[in-house]
Amino acid sequence: MVRRYRRTSTLIVCVLVYLALFVAGCRRADFSRPLIVILVPSQDNPFFKAEGEAAAERALTLGYRVRVDAHNDDAYRQDNLIDAAIASNAAALILDNAGAEASIAAVRRATKAGIPCFLIDRAIDIDGVAKAQIIADNHQGAKVVAAEFARAIGVRGGEYAELLGRESDTNAQIRTKGFHSVLDKQPSLKMVSAQSANWSQSEAFQKTETMLQAHANLVGIVAGNDTMALGAVAAVKSAGIKNILITGFDGSPDALAAIASGDLQATTMQPAVLIARLAVDEANQFLKTGRTGKAERQVIACDLVTKANVTDYRDFEKIR
Amino acid sequence: MSAAISTPAQAGKFAASSARAVLWLLRARAILVLVLLLVFFTSMSPTFLTTNNISILAKHVAISAILAIGMSFVVLAGGIDLSVGSVAGLGGMIAGYVLTQGIIIGGSIYYPPVVVAVLLTFAICLVVGFLNGWLISKAGVAPFIATLGTLYIARGAALLISNGKTFPNLAGLSSRGNTGFDLLGQSFLLGLPVSVWIMFLLFAAAAILAAKTPFGRHVYAVGGNERAARLAGIRVPRVKLMTYLFSAFCAALVGLIIASQLEAAHPATGESFELNAIAAVVLGGTSLMGGRGSVVGSLIGAFVIGVLADGLVMLGVSEFWQIVIKGVVIVMAVAVDQLQSRLQSKFLPYLSQASGEVGN
Repeated sequence: MVRRYRRTSTLIVCVLVYLALFVAGCRRADFSRPLIVILVPSQDNPFFKAEGEAAAERALTLGYRVRVDAHNDDAYRQDNLIDAAIASNAAALILDNAGAEASIAAVRRATKAGIPCFLIDRAIDIDGVAKAQIIADNHQGAKVVAAEFARAIGVRGGEYAELLGRESDTNAQIRTKGFHSVLDKQPSLKMVSAQSANWSQSEAFQKTETMLQAHANLVGIVAGNDTMALGAVAAVKSAGIKNILITGFDGSPDALAAIASGDLQATTMQPAVLIARLAVDEANQFLKTGRTGKAERQVIACDLVTKANVTDYRDFEKIR
Repeated sequence: MSAAISTPAQAGKFAASSARAVLWLLRARAILVLVLLLVFFTSMSPTFLTTNNISILAKHVAISAILAIGMSFVVLAGGIDLSVGSVAGLGGMIAGYVLTQGIIIGGSIYYPPVVVAVLLTFAICLVVGFLNGWLISKAGVAPFIATLGTLYIARGAALLISNGKTFPNLAGLSSRGNTGFDLLGQSFLLGLPVSVWIMFLLFAAAAILAAKTPFGRHVYAVGGNERAARLAGIRVPRVKLMTYLFSAFCAALVGLIIASQLEAAHPATGESFELNAIAAVVLGGTSLMGGRGSVVGSLIGAFVIGVLADGLVMLGVSEFWQIVIKGVVIVMAVAVDQLQSRLQSKFLPYLSQASGEVGN
């Protein structure tokens, strides 16, 4: 009998713990205020986290109710989350989408259901459906970071390598075009290797190790994002080589720390926080007046970050 | 049991009725949890119990329910199918390829109508299902390993078809005569999405198949005791093969519905869907050892998971908590399942005694 009671009480404790978890995760919201739904690709990546938090903060200040969800770059999950936004009678949707082509139908459905969509960070391949598409100028950003790369190497020139992002990603293509529009004009610089590391730090580490074996005279590495640049930094360090210049792209906190310590030459900061706030402001404007007062496609310039101005930036935002 | 009860006969009656009540509660636990969840979310969010949201909810549930219905037969026969998510992804990509790239016949590109694209998708997905069934029943590979292998094969094939890219604009062009694919996932019938009707039709067919046909009995027999089933003359390999074919068919259906909903086919679609389907089957009270469970349980299990997922999103619960809560629910479900089978054997003497009294 005692044994059975022990079992039953274990079960009851389990149920109570479960209910406690449930209630802890829930908070009763004020349903009288209009809801803005913010969808970002992930909540465990500093870039998207900063973007989502900035948008949420601005929307709360403007008197909206806010919900932030992540679609994990899964177009089907994004579709379900947009359905949930429609069902909750959201007033507006701030969306960092899960694919330029795969997101069109979902954005169209939300618009049809009367929810204006404001796209941030990534555009979709169609005009006139979203109310705004605000993205960072990847081409300009790539050009300024490549110019800094060329300047820092100087007239001595030499051989350099490139780490590319995922080849199917439009931003990877735009960035490499931007790099080459500057670097190809430098007669003293010669690219000896270009490898895709799929935006990943560990892949960049392995690819860089291989490239260092094949090309002993490397003077620099241009990376398509900060994560890959930091992978390259680690590989160069573990090989015990000095005087290899590395540049990144994005302006992540880790990259800023690496610039401050001198491991990374430069990066370019994508103004994610600024873009998120702009989108919420335009959504607010649209809900109040029926128009955003801006063109649908808006491109925001990226800032060059070097050791000279690294303290001016924090968490994808210019703070000074 | 209690001091107030004096005679042994009364005590027996009391024990029998309380044992019955406990067992009934345990058996109906999935539907009880579902009702509790519905009440909870309705009280927390004013937009939860609206026709609009219920229709959307049913549409989301349909995806995991269709996979879970297919998975039920596999699990009832003592197997497991990890490949369903990848097969769904592959199915969408095949339909996407045929609709947007066409088929090359004799050097010229031919755009077949939607029906052909759909049939082709089923055909290729059934080949994966056949491969699963053949590997498990003929080559003797363990179901977990065989379907883990086909999980990778189907996912790789889906990525290869487009080189990792998305096939957009699946609505088709009237100049090519291949419009209408978007109807599958986006049109409504009597106020409910077509995919929900497909789920109910499939469920009705599967429930009859499991409970009323020889095939259904054979599935239970194979899962309950494979050796005994073989000795009783059941063609065990054939039964197993059929379950994997049916599971692949359901997966292909899901792939088509999702591609139609998104009007786009992405090769990563369906990642970890197999886990949702298995969770729904287990929540519905089907034993992973095979031989015990029901199709209706899987349907209710899929509803529990779907209501939980959508409700938590609508309440604005953080994504990380959502994952934790889902895990807790699955673990609890299996724990209660164990409790039920233990109590059932313990209460058996009381129950038979009680029924004996009724006979008198």
